Amino acid sequence: MDHERAHLEGVLGGRLTRRGMLRLLAAGLSVPTMSLLAACGEASVGDDGGGAAPTATTAGGATATRAPSGSTPAATPGGAGGAAPSGPIRIGVILPLSGVAASVGIDEKAALELAVKIVNEATPDVALPLAATAGLPNLGGAKVELIFADSQGKAEVGQSEAERLITQEKVVALFGCYQSAVTKTASAVAERAGIPFMNGESSSPALTESGYRWFFRTSPHDGDFSKAIMAFIRAMADEKGADVKTVSLLYEDTDFGVNSATALKAEAEAHGLQVVGEVKYKANTTSLTSEVQTLRSQGADVLAPASYTNDAILTIETAKQLGYLPKMIVAQDAGYSDPAFIEGVGAAFAEGIATRSAFSIDITEIKPVAAKVNELYKQATGKNMHDVPARGFTAMMVLLDAINRAGSTEPEAIRQALEATDLGPDDTIMPWKGVKFDEKHQNILGTGVIVQIRNGEYRTVYPFDVATVEPTFPLQPWDQRGS
Amino acid sequence: MTTATVRTGTRPVFWVALGLLAVVLLALPLILRSDSRLNIAILVLVYAALAQAWNLLGGFAGQISLGNAAFFGLGAYTSTILFSRWEVTPWLGMLGGALVAAVFAVIIGYPVFRLGGHYFAIATIAMAEIVLTVFNDWEFVGGAVGLLIPFARVDGRPADSWYYLQFNQHKEPYYYIALALVVLVTAVTIGVSRSKVGYYLRAIKNDQQAARALGVHVLRYKLIAIALSAAFSAIVGTFYAQYLLYIDPETTMRLELSVLIALVAILGGVGTVAGPLIGAAVLIPAAELTRSQLGGTGNAVDLILYGGLIILISIFQPNGLMGLVERVRRRGRGRPLTPPSDEEALAREEAPLLGTYEEERG
Repeated sequence: MDHERAHLEGVLGGRLTRRGMLRLLAAGLSVPTMSLLAACGEASVGDDGGGAAPTATTAGGATATRAPSGSTPAATPGGAGGAAPSGPIRIGVILPLSGVAASVGIDEKAALELAVKIVNEATPDVALPLAATAGLPNLGGAKVELIFADSQGKAEVGQSEAERLITQEKVVALFGCYQSAVTKTASAVAERAGIPFMNGESSSPALTESGYRWFFRTSPHDGDFSKAIMAFIRAMADEKGADVKTVSLLYEDTDFGVNSATALKAEAEAHGLQVVGEVKYKANTTSLTSEVQTLRSQGADVLAPASYTNDAILTIETAKQLGYLPKMIVAQDAGYSDPAFIEGVGAAFAEGIATRSAFSIDITEIKPVAAKVNELYKQATGKNMHDVPARGFTAMMVLLDAINRAGSTEPEAIRQALEATDLGPDDTIMPWKGVKFDEKHQNILGTGVIVQIRNGEYRTVYPFDVATVEPTFPLQPWDQRGS
Repeated sequence: MTTATVRTGTRPVFWVALGLLAVVLLALPLILRSDSRLNIAILVLVYAALAQAWNLLGGFAGQISLGNAAFFGLGAYTSTILFSRWEVTPWLGMLGGALVAAVFAVIIGYPVFRLGGHYFAIATIAMAEIVLTVFNDWEFVGGAVGLLIPFARVDGRPADSWYYLQFNQHKEPYYYIALALVVLVTAVTIGVSRSKVGYYLRAIKNDQQAARALGVHVLRYKLIAIALSAAFSAIVGTFYAQYLLYIDPETTMRLELSVLIALVAILGGVGTVAGPLIGAAVLIPAAELTRSQLGGTGNAVDLILYGGLIILISIFQPNGLMGLVERVRRRGRGRPLTPPSDEEALAREEAPLLGTYEEERG
């Protein structure tokens, strides 16, 4: 201590002040911080089966990588294709791992890690392409490694991370990014660099409409989803005798809500339904009283809302207070398909509300492969798969299938293999007819499903051939529901 | 104290250092040899230019703005709309954006400058939020969906084009343009700081009433400062839009961006020419590196480290990183570092991060 003090006095010109002590403390703090940073130089979270052992420990002793489960000895690629690369096939994944959408991003990350695990290891009990073999057979059994990056839900961060993944991490394809705005900037980077970009969870139609050469989307977009909503309402009227002709729209004022409303209006018209009113509100608002009053005065048979979770809960609470009850509520996913919504309004008041979705957990009842994958997902995370993770899982499997068929990690070969993708109804865990891309690289065989909340759970009610329960109609009056 | 700027310019050692820095900056793309590192360099330059533009208003005139993202966004939107609707080259759009932002700033500044201190800062937040809301709801400018900037393509492939201010195959032109923007806005800052206007602005910052009593037309010089600040922010906005190729109100105008711009300048050193540049050179790579190394884990350690860095700087360098530079320089000159007198120490302890405009109210 005396020695230190003497040294300090030298530094500070002879007087030891309290500020000086603090400064020393700061220097002391900054050293471990720096070494921690240095130690994490290779922070890729790869779920590879061991193809390239992730660099784990460093001088500092900090482990930067999560050990993959069930590591097998490195499989030496080569032989088969000739174009087989040495080392694992690296795919860059950009997701919101912090910020408001972090919980969804982290759930999806687990689903993607599961997809790669199924591909890297021999998993014969999962009846999906590439599951039975270890690694990608056409690339000499090469393993796949995912490099995750955090977008923080910000478009400009998505751009920056995409740049880094391509040039620094040398990924052969990019994947992500959930929020459409982030996907837009990240896919622009991929378009510039000329590497494939696979998306499974962004619904903005503009992404495929802009005709990018390298961008592919497996999941339906807002237009397709809106078609499913209006087709469901039409089918309820035509086939189930429900007396519904008019629709009111309620939507939040961001990219999602605005796109949704435009698509819903067009689809309503195409399905012979009349939109009698639309109400736009500021996202994350604290009151929807005047909006709900407007909706009540419009008196439409059906309410089609597009809201995130908090706003969805507020809508139902306000409707209860003001006694607003349409015959049906058919929502545009988002908040209404979040289990937290059911919890927020209570199962009794959520009963009978319907929403579109791409995946619903009861698909596991009619699709054994979905049940098996959900079982593995539950083992890893402790929860059931929901819409976004399932869409991400599917998109990742489609991308890996294409890389395998390409037999090469050349971007152009992968792009052509993606364009030639032709998967059938049994090749995915989704209730889809399969995966096949049109000239804009939008999957034309993907469909939305409509789920209805029944006893606190989402049950598929439409299309009728994949439904697990009969839809109920109309909504029960609020005051006749048990609390 | 923090207004010590380029007085050292007469000493040869300064010019040698500056020359070396210029050589390093010009050769940087050759040194970095990687697009992703060059990307970080470009981001540093973008924020350096934005913070320098903020400095014209916040540093010299002491008017803390937390709404500069609105000017940035106006620049991005003006050029993008001109380009995507009428194919006007973004170079012209850049000037158009600067004009729009400057005019807007003067219109906003006229009433808002009547507010002093904290109230001015609050009013700038409100101004930026209003602009954000308007753009979110305005169909003509793409609303909340934003605007995709079409690629300049040759044979279907994204190509480099000076006319379209898009460089899809090489990043170097982006780097040199950003560097030129930083040099431009820094040169203007130096010019202003040495001119009559600079002295007036500092007088206004130190004591508005006294400045007025001495015959300084306070409002006029504040309006000049905000117009310059807005124009340069808008120019950077155009550049960044052409770099990202997609803009929406959230990305270009959100409050967090305004705060980041101010943060870079404040942590670098308010009211100094080099401060915002140093702030950007430290903070932006720190954010990028912590995120790229640790962000993928999904446990937000990167944000904790980044936040910790900001807290450390603000505790130990309340005058910004420039304070550190000043101290090293004084020591380099061989002068013994005299401990601050009690009064000085007290003044420094009490000077908060935004101390510069506290004084004005006193």
